[in-house]
Amino acid sequence: MTRFITTTWLLMARALREARRQPANDLGNAFIPLFFYAVTVGAVGGVAREAFGVDDYKGFQLPVALLQGAAGIAGGAGLALTQDIQSGYFEKLMLTSTPRFAIVLGRMLADAVKAFGLSILIIAMALAVGSGFETGPVGMLVLLVGTAAFALAYSGIGVAIALKTGSPQAAQAGFLIFFPLLFLAPTFAPIEVFATWLEVIARANPVTYLIEGQRSLITAGWEPAALAKGAAAIAGIAALTFTLTGLALRGRSR
Amino acid sequence: MSAVAANGLVKHFSPDIRAVDGIDLDIPEGQVFGFLGQNGSGKTTTVRMLTTLLRPTAGTARVGGIDVLADPDRVRKLVGVALQEVGLDDLQTGREQLSLQSRLFGISSGETRRRVDHLLEIVSLTDAADRPVKGYSGGMKRRLDLACALVHEPRIIFLDEPTTGLDPVTRDQVWRYVEELNRDGVTFFLTTQYLEEADRLCHDIAIMDRGKIVAKGSPAELKSSIGTDAITVLFASDDDAQRADSRIRQLPGIDSTALAGREVVAYLRNGASAVAGIVLALNDAGLTVSELRLAQATLDDVFLRATGHHLEVDKRVEVAAVAGGAA
Repeated sequence: MTRFITTTWLLMARALREARRQPANDLGNAFIPLFFYAVTVGAVGGVAREAFGVDDYKGFQLPVALLQGAAGIAGGAGLALTQDIQSGYFEKLMLTSTPRFAIVLGRMLADAVKAFGLSILIIAMALAVGSGFETGPVGMLVLLVGTAAFALAYSGIGVAIALKTGSPQAAQAGFLIFFPLLFLAPTFAPIEVFATWLEVIARANPVTYLIEGQRSLITAGWEPAALAKGAAAIAGIAALTFTLTGLALRGRSR
Repeated sequence: MSAVAANGLVKHFSPDIRAVDGIDLDIPEGQVFGFLGQNGSGKTTTVRMLTTLLRPTAGTARVGGIDVLADPDRVRKLVGVALQEVGLDDLQTGREQLSLQSRLFGISSGETRRRVDHLLEIVSLTDAADRPVKGYSGGMKRRLDLACALVHEPRIIFLDEPTTGLDPVTRDQVWRYVEELNRDGVTFFLTTQYLEEADRLCHDIAIMDRGKIVAKGSPAELKSSIGTDAITVLFASDDDAQRADSRIRQLPGIDSTALAGREVVAYLRNGASAVAGIVLALNDAGLTVSELRLAQATLDDVFLRATGHHLEVDKRVEVAAVAGGAA
């Protein structure tokens, strides 16, 4: 177990070192959520109270920006893995006595760390423009950890696709899966104002529980039920993506 | 104990693609063993199976006495591997790459620092150690890749075409590393397309063709098995060469012949005394000789005899194709 932790740590450090050397890769991941946050708050914020009874629309939108940023960053592990596969470096790692899962987990954890950092930036920007935060610093820490956990879980999609196909295009396509799910959740308005058909879909969508759990920390206060559902959604996504990653890794290891 | 042993090793990628078709190996410790063959002959697939990267379709293989299927992790700790394509991370520096490789083998950070400094010196990369690998030349990358294979001090090293594409100076450096390490008792399993490399470095050679081992032995044994001399006779057409082959084979003193296109090669013990007889016999048969050469038998002759085609000619074609592509 110690060996697994040590090698995972070494490989996570390597992935973060690479990220530092290619800062442009993560600039887009920071720009997109901040841009959408500014535009959505600017467009809807003024009518949110009258339209669907939301007082703090800046806080209401904050989880959307956080999840967008985390999902963008979580595409990085899969893409980087395809580069390792194509350069032959992945095989060099496979020829060491490193536990197989550590080779991919190191990269996924690096995405989680980057998502944690980006989330600090997004929260700071939201607070600077007047967003509230009901649960204070402890709630912020819970929100940051939750967002990083989501990034870790979601990065498994790109990693599984990368291992299965070795194709950067396919690995990047994995990142796009998140967007339909995001727009089929209470992203712009509370679920209570949805048309019935959309509400049914949203209730079956794990991203709904992620957003509502995170949103409760910002706009409502400590709500254990909402947080538990959010944690369960992350655990469910992680169970699926880690299983797919494990199977793809076994296939590649032969 | 054998350093590498395989029995009936098979790898089929599909019923039609039999990359390795039942090979047996028994390589003693401390030997430099050469696997000679053209591209696609099954050399790399064999290396990948022996180093745990590929699961065999059938057969058994033991490396350092350990079954590659039963305990691949122990095999990986025992072996160093430099594959044909250098597998390096362009964003890391040479030092970072070597250090990570060492740490992933469970070597402590202090010991890693010592080994990395030492290896960088051995492969003449100390000055470039803290530069990203993407700025390295092909030769520097190959040397770093070799250093990565050595960092955990393995007793058995697999080198898959380690000098392909290298300039003569770097090639000679790689050969010297191999010879030095072998003197310290390290076993090498080397695949190559270069006859000179096999002749200089290898104690024993196996010639591989279409997934099978078609000849095995020391370079001297293999060369003497076909005769000490080779007379190469070139004709204007393939038909003439075929007729000449039948005629030459009947002449006294000829051990064997090989036919390759417009060329017939006769193997025999005393070539100088047989030249006149061959020319007269061909003249009597109405065959016009375009060119005739007498030389000592080489590994290329062994390869031709065993596979029906030259290795060196194919290498020249490959070089020409690369040059054409570059142009």
